Amino acid sequence: MKKMLCVAGLLLSQLAFAEVAVIVHPSNNNALDEATVSKIFLGREKSFADGKSVVPLSLNEGASASTAFNDAVLKKSSSQLKAYWSKLVFTGKGTPPKEIASDEEMIKLVATNPSVIGYVDASKVDASVKVALKF
Amino acid sequence: MKTKKLPTKRQLLMTSALVVALFPQQLLAEVKLNGFASIRGTSVSSDGGLEPFPGFEEGELSFKPESLFAIQAQADLGAGLSATVQLFGEGRTDFEVEARWAYLSYQLNDSHRLSAGRFANPIFHQSEYEKVGYAHNFSRLPKAVYIDFEFSTIEGIALDSQFNLGDYSLSTKVLYGGWSGEAFSAVTNNFVDFGMDNIFSANATLAGDWWQLFGGIFAAEIDGASIDSSTVFPLATPGMNLAQNMGATAAQVNDFKSRIGWDGKDAFYWFSGFAVDYNNWLVDFEFVDYVVEDSTDAPNQSWYLALGHRFDKVVLTLHTEDYAQDADHDFLNGVAHPVLLATGKGINNAFAQREFDGVGLSVRYDFHPSAAIKVDYFNGSDTRPAVGDYEIVSFGVDLVF
Repeated sequence: MKKMLCVAGLLLSQLAFAEVAVIVHPSNNNALDEATVSKIFLGREKSFADGKSVVPLSLNEGASASTAFNDAVLKKSSSQLKAYWSKLVFTGKGTPPKEIASDEEMIKLVATNPSVIGYVDASKVDASVKVALKF
Repeated sequence: MKTKKLPTKRQLLMTSALVVALFPQQLLAEVKLNGFASIRGTSVSSDGGLEPFPGFEEGELSFKPESLFAIQAQADLGAGLSATVQLFGEGRTDFEVEARWAYLSYQLNDSHRLSAGRFANPIFHQSEYEKVGYAHNFSRLPKAVYIDFEFSTIEGIALDSQFNLGDYSLSTKVLYGGWSGEAFSAVTNNFVDFGMDNIFSANATLAGDWWQLFGGIFAAEIDGASIDSSTVFPLATPGMNLAQNMGATAAQVNDFKSRIGWDGKDAFYWFSGFAVDYNNWLVDFEFVDYVVEDSTDAPNQSWYLALGHRFDKVVLTLHTEDYAQDADHDFLNGVAHPVLLATGKGINNAFAQREFDGVGLSVRYDFHPSAAIKVDYFNGSDTRPAVGDYEIVSFGVDLVF
């Protein structure tokens, strides 16, 4: 019984602390920190440091990596984020990142487009993309 | 029985090619649809028989004054060009749909976007999205500042800019345009034709991670022949007649009329304030000041202060607001005839008669990823004798999609 509880506890802690990886195209050599990634995903930064335009993509709001990313990097709940984007969308000042349905699709899109930046559950990352940041 | 000949594959291909040739952009354009809505039941009371704000229905629960619906389509035409239209209807106008926004935008570069057409008039800090209930934590933005100016939508050209200054971001807007329509006059309790020409506005917001500082100005030339003929001059007529009977010259009366009238005068609005969102504590403050200069209009200085706390999905907000006007008789400097002087002061006092203040408690509960329930209670006091003390209670849902 004790063993089962330990295993369950370990599983829960793994879920709670599942790492999220911010990923870019392998050819992207820009240094990215948390503040810059936050600005990109809030529509305040439109280019990478090398001047090339950036296209941020989000995971669907139900995805656990999405909630973790919003909490840790954007410092907003999904409702706060929606209210934030409402102010921009309905005044023509910006549009939120497109939402992608799965980690696999996100990795595929990042791997094929040097402009794209996304994030996925770190355990899903493969060699086709570059991890710019982990948290 | 007649039969219709089906088109051949070749005909279909030719038609498709023709459509692509004629409308290449339309086929490539990506159209985004978004919308927002508020369904809100509101009950207001007043001691004197007049509702505190136009559209509110005294003494009964009504879903008309504060319910609204909007759908917005934005077509991305590529290469930085986009077209946006927002169709909007609200209960107070029987959900008659109007194109609230209709404009083209061109993204000049990463920092600047130029728009032209019909769009929101950024009179004050939150004016551009004041109808989007989901975007803020109130059931309605404090009326002392956001009093439903009719010129909230204007036609013109605007430049939106965004700058990164280290850890801070600065967003600015510069706009030129015009507006014509009807405006509510608290003096006569009626709507009158009104217009604003050569509107120029500029505003800026400096933001850090948890704070915002903002300010802006708005200036326009009043097209007020109608408010002069329907409100200002009729109020002055008895006084002007009496003055003429007591020896005032025609030149003195004409000079007086040019002083009290609004037509051709300059209106000047400005606002400033701050917002804080720190450790789930929320503070908002906005002060506004506006007047039609050198006229019988009374200078207005209004503000609101709100303190809120976020408890996970619930936000409690307590706020106080004050709508104040002061009579200012400087526009009569140089008027020598005592009857004309007294008449001018009387009209200015009439325009300054309406003031109100109050406190409100709002509760927001994000019960759904795209919708929030809001309940609020407001207790106010209006200096118009027919309104007096009043209460507003409302509940409803704000959503975005």
